Amino acid sequence: MSRKLFFLASGFYFGFVLSRVGASNYQVIFRMFTAEDLHLAWVILSAIIVANLGMRYLKMKGNLGRGGKPIEIKEKKLGRLSIIGAAIFGIGWGMAGACPGTVLAQIGEGKILALFTFSGMLFGTYLYGYLLARWPKIN
Amino acid sequence: MYQALFVDTWPWWVGGILIGLLVPGFYYFQNTALGVSTGYGNLVKIISRSKLPWLQGEKFADAWGWRVFFIGGMVLGAFVAGRLKGGTFLTREMSLFTEVLNWPFLGSALYFFSGGLFLGLGARLAGGCTSGHSIHGLANLHKSSIIVTVVFLIFGAIAAAFLRTFLLGGGAP
Repeated sequence: MSRKLFFLASGFYFGFVLSRVGASNYQVIFRMFTAEDLHLAWVILSAIIVANLGMRYLKMKGNLGRGGKPIEIKEKKLGRLSIIGAAIFGIGWGMAGACPGTVLAQIGEGKILALFTFSGMLFGTYLYGYLLARWPKIN
Repeated sequence: MYQALFVDTWPWWVGGILIGLLVPGFYYFQNTALGVSTGYGNLVKIISRSKLPWLQGEKFADAWGWRVFFIGGMVLGAFVAGRLKGGTFLTREMSLFTEVLNWPFLGSALYFFSGGLFLGLGARLAGGCTSGHSIHGLANLHKSSIIVTVVFLIFGAIAAAFLRTFLLGGGAP
């Protein structure tokens, strides 16, 4: 299977699961943040645990991918403004009731307002590149 | 059976297991970290044909790289999930938000655009989003991802508390 087909298929899977588990529902996210309904918090936590067990299993097998190629795991490094960025992201997450993944599921479900969240994200991403070109130190 | 699979919201652990498997799956099959938000850089490059130096780097050398296909797949997957569940396709509703607030459409649109703006800018400054940092990074016990995720959650909770107090009313409707 070609690489791009793999990601198209796994994206389909991810979007389908996010939608079915309620992650694309504004109030499910909102109520996770107000601690009224922890359904989504359990989804995220159990996903982390399953992912961690899977990574441990791969490590046990020598960290080799398919075809015996070694797996490289890189930690994301923090930039100067990463903490501020994380705070900005958190506010956006709470406001829009969506994150960069679940907004795609909202669009697929036909939620018109999600198109505005999505456009805002594209603009925010562009703004980052624009600011970075002027102040390279923000990275 | 149909009801449980395609209509009712799945139990949290079903979603957790299926999402969690993506992280080792991505490494095993493609030697790649799970992540969504970087792909928005690809989309910006494709749409704006921007000459921003950031988008000329190695990461975005192939604007139509796998991330675009992953993003497209996600929209399609949720589309199918939504159609199997039933109901009208295009809707202006956004559950609690549109149920409680009687805002004109343009007001809501502007609100969600602003939320998206924070998400887009914040994700790039933080170096990732919920999938890349909070699921992939935490599963690999990366210190930077733990710090970033704690900040995500604190400020998400602050934003939600603010909304609950000033916009959406004190109790659950």
